[in-house]
Amino acid sequence: MTRHQTRRPSGRTTTVSPGERRPLSLVAGMYVVAALLTALAIGPALWLIVIALQPAGTSSSSIRFTPSLANFKTVVRDGNLLLPMMNSIIVTLARAAANVLLAALAAYPLARMNFRGKNLVLLLILATMMVPEQVIVVPMFRTVVQLGLYDTLLAAIIPMAVSGFGIFMVRQAMLAVPTSLEEAARIDGAGPVRIWWHIMLPLSAPTLATLALFSVIAAWSDLLWPVIVLQSQHNYTLPVAVNELMGAFSTNLRLAYAGAVLALVPIIIAFLASQRFFKPQIFAGAVKG
Amino acid sequence: MTSAAARPARTHAWWTPHAFLLPAAILLVSFVGLAFFQVIYFSFTRYTAFTGPEWIGLDNYQRLLGSGVFWKCLLNSALYLLVTPALIVLSLAAALLVQASLRGTSWLRLALFLPVVTPTIVAALAWRLLLSRDGVANAALGVVAAGPVNWLTHEPWTLLSPMLVTLWKGFGFYMMIFLAGLIAVPRELIEAARIDGASRLRVLWHVTLPSLWPVVTLVAIVSSISALKVFDELFVTVKGVPIEQQTAVPFVYATAFEVGDFGLASAAGIVLFVIILALSVVNLRLSARRSAAGAPA
Repeated sequence: MTRHQTRRPSGRTTTVSPGERRPLSLVAGMYVVAALLTALAIGPALWLIVIALQPAGTSSSSIRFTPSLANFKTVVRDGNLLLPMMNSIIVTLARAAANVLLAALAAYPLARMNFRGKNLVLLLILATMMVPEQVIVVPMFRTVVQLGLYDTLLAAIIPMAVSGFGIFMVRQAMLAVPTSLEEAARIDGAGPVRIWWHIMLPLSAPTLATLALFSVIAAWSDLLWPVIVLQSQHNYTLPVAVNELMGAFSTNLRLAYAGAVLALVPIIIAFLASQRFFKPQIFAGAVKG
Repeated sequence: MTSAAARPARTHAWWTPHAFLLPAAILLVSFVGLAFFQVIYFSFTRYTAFTGPEWIGLDNYQRLLGSGVFWKCLLNSALYLLVTPALIVLSLAAALLVQASLRGTSWLRLALFLPVVTPTIVAALAWRLLLSRDGVANAALGVVAAGPVNWLTHEPWTLLSPMLVTLWKGFGFYMMIFLAGLIAVPRELIEAARIDGASRLRVLWHVTLPSLWPVVTLVAIVSSISALKVFDELFVTVKGVPIEQQTAVPFVYATAFEVGDFGLASAAGIVLFVIILALSVVNLRLSARRSAAGAPA
């Protein structure tokens, strides 16, 4: 990640250090590409924010930009966005907490205990990762209805509360915890629950944090499943509510755009606050087959 | 795997592992395992919002095969796979640029990752705004005396527009995977090639990219699978266009929850599952070969 050649532990000096001797034309070209990519990455969302800040009636091509929060006030009041905002926070935090807790519980025996059928369990969990949610929405919906959970926040949480992916990720982390720690604790009389709580959880904390972040991003953005199981407006999550705004305010889409910005801001803040966790290595680990 | 390190003697009750596994197992069995067998069963039944399920054999599959709309959606799903090469090029370029760590660009990785955390509904609305009839895209086309294009209402643009959203939202994610791969490219190889007088371009082409090849195949398959599963982008970006202008998952959704034909939707889901499974199997094969070769990722 960082500039490499200079601080080599081996002390071997290198005659070529690509980081420093780039020709000017190459450097200039790279800055141009960097500028273009940055414009591509933040341009669309930035434009959305600009338009959402313009009160209805002003032309979007108007030179003068007089930002106003009018659209936001209107959409929160007329679009009833406060409840969906609360629902989204509840669903997102519950899904992330459940994913971390359940994966951490299931991963411990899979990483650290011997029991009959362990390999079969591992194989079955791997198999669940091969079945996309999109394929099984009909029976998932049916189960939710039969459990009496249809059109409740629990319906948006419970079926998404654990994933084979999360269990595997935490299992890999727990495999790397030194056995000596576990044995020392056992000699001191600690049972499985205490070993799990005092050794396994703290030592796999970075992975658990990563899983929590992935879960938060996925849950905050989720549209397909909440659209299927949430019917009443007071149960909507924010993406479902914003989706409805597109129809309800089709004559003044700036209100829908303002709603979208309200869905964007919290997750961007959460991301910027936790960005030190987003190292490239965790993504490689996350998609490794 | 380091499982050899984890072989403690049994010091727990026989039911301890099961107790730890139980909560996750209940949920995975009822919402994935059971659901998987149910969807297979439903695909052989007449099952609507009002009646059934009632066994009808292969009828749903025959209806699917004879349905022009379903074939069109599958074709569109196949066309949607064209986001994969675009994603690879864009994310690889982004990764190389971030890796180069130009002066004053330490924020670049962060900025390019922002679309990944952007909720899909927000991304889709932002692109609807850009692509609307009097939006920025058509204004830009107007400057070069082209267009305007009906990005959101007419084929083939109704497929291209959600693909742009998928591309925009995805490239930062795959950039991270390429960055992890780039870190693992042996520095010595690159230095040796440079000392031997190879130009930067030749080093990139003959050293860096070949070392990254396993990562490229990984990204190709992972992004293809997620392209086949795409829903949110279409649901919002091209809201309201006929289902035959959309892809497989919107077909499943509309058949189940708008038409109310759960049996037919289940059969369509099974067809999609088989296609995705084939790709996953290829991925596992390649992944086994990657770890056998000791390659990164």
